[in-house]
Amino acid sequence: MGKSQPVMSIDDRIMWDGIEHGELKLQSCSHCRTLRYPPGPICAECLSMESNWVPVAGTGTILSWVTFHKRYFDDFPPPYNSVAVRLDEGPIIMSNLVGDEPEGSWIGKRVRLEFVDHDGRRQHAVRIDRAG
Amino acid sequence: MSNQLSNVAAVVGIGHTDWRKDYAAHRAGEAGKLDSIGLASLAFTRALKDAGISRDEVDGLIVGPTTPYERMGEVLGIDARWGGQADAMLAVMQATMAIHAGLAEVVALVYGNNQRTGKTNYGGANAAGGASFLSYVYHAPWGFTSQGALYALMFQRYMEETGLTSTQLGEVAVAQRLAASLNPEAVMQKRITVEDYLASDFVCEPLHLFDYCLVNDGGVALIIMSAERARKLRPDPVMIHGVGRYDLNRGATSLEPRLTEYYLPAQQKVAAQVFDMAGVGPEDISSAQIYDSFSCHIPLALEGYGYCAPGEAGRFMQDGNIKLGGRLPVNTSGGHLSESYMQGWGHQIEAVRQIRGTCGERQVENCRFVHYSSDVAGKAVSIIYGR
Ligand SMILES: [Zn+2]
Repeated sequence: MGKSQPVMSIDDRIMWDGIEHGELKLQSCSHCRTLRYPPGPICAECLSMESNWVPVAGTGTILSWVTFHKRYFDDFPPPYNSVAVRLDEGPIIMSNLVGDEPEGSWIGKRVRLEFVDHDGRRQHAVRIDRAG
Repeated sequence: MSNQLSNVAAVVGIGHTDWRKDYAAHRAGEAGKLDSIGLASLAFTRALKDAGISRDEVDGLIVGPTTPYERMGEVLGIDARWGGQADAMLAVMQATMAIHAGLAEVVALVYGNNQRTGKTNYGGANAAGGASFLSYVYHAPWGFTSQGALYALMFQRYMEETGLTSTQLGEVAVAQRLAASLNPEAVMQKRITVEDYLASDFVCEPLHLFDYCLVNDGGVALIIMSAERARKLRPDPVMIHGVGRYDLNRGATSLEPRLTEYYLPAQQKVAAQVFDMAGVGPEDISSAQIYDSFSCHIPLALEGYGYCAPGEAGRFMQDGNIKLGGRLPVNTSGGHLSESYMQGWGHQIEAVRQIRGTCGERQVENCRFVHYSSDVAGKAVSIIYGR
């Protein structure tokens, strides 16, 4: 089987360094300000190769979710969830919902980002945002 | 739009391995006797025999993604005037293009995959396809893996947006198993009901076990030649009337085109191209062969190609339209869910068999045009086969 691992391209490394320090930063095009996820070498909108990193507010909306009933990784015993979240800044990220799960559909629920320790690495998760 | 690739090439030979027998042998604990190259070789000899030509007439070779090109040509003794490596749908397109360009006249397309005995993993660490599709591996830190999960996530949202129910989705697995029960070569032949479907385990919820393709060993081969030569060779060549492709790459890894548009724009663009090239419309199609790693490909394609309006696929399937005897029988061999998981290659030869009229009990009456479609990870492709 084996454990889950992040893809670590030269551009991903900077993002994971931020996550290690409890902050999700996204790459922003220095020319047109378009945010990129996953990180990459060039802006898909304007083809500028200059970028800087900006922290996200950590709020978003669930676009969709699934529940795994089959085991794929040693570090993810089923059942567990994965959620797709549209960050308020625009990009879609995948994460895990922790804490209370909504009754019925999860789609459209407001969530807030937090950071968790997962099997020796720090990564983000999301929690239903009561205030939202 | 261009119609230059219409009726320039035809399928004159098809062959495949004994996947039902091989699956049973594997279940009984026997080791596989052929690896991927061996499976492809067996399929090739059968396709050659079906075409009634000799190996030395082959001047083009296209090899599927699971075997190395050079070694495949080496074992089959084929030095090619033109060659390459491609998945099923691109292989057919490229053969057609090569013939049209005069780069080859008789192209062999061969595929072999020992994914079951070779223990290919489609999820988890080192998930297959990760080198080509970043989305297959990028979200692993959150346990999100497997192509099934990508479609489950997409379909969860689609179901909420359109109101399509699990009961309606179950029509796909039930209809394809019914077709497979009439196909002596299908791996799974025991009929199921929607109740069986709903009672089956979830793999990645909302998708059930019966929504997933099989994983089995096998090989498929086709011989494609110029239409002119094909007509001289045999009375029933199966013409390629149209081909089309459109790829959604933007936002692919963050799943944008999956989750917001369900690949609909890509399929609509391909529909315009392929129907225009073939000079036919959805109403002229007798049967659809739709790439079905997962059942949910079917409703998305039905909408994308205009067999029903966007959001109406649930009702369309519930009304019996995709079953044998219905308006548009889909995956009449049983498809990936019930016949054999040959990554789209099996769909091409089922299209040929239906047009030839050799499908026995599962034959679609008066089968004039068959539409093949796939939307693997937003790469929408279509081929229209006909007489
Ligand atoms: Zn830019």
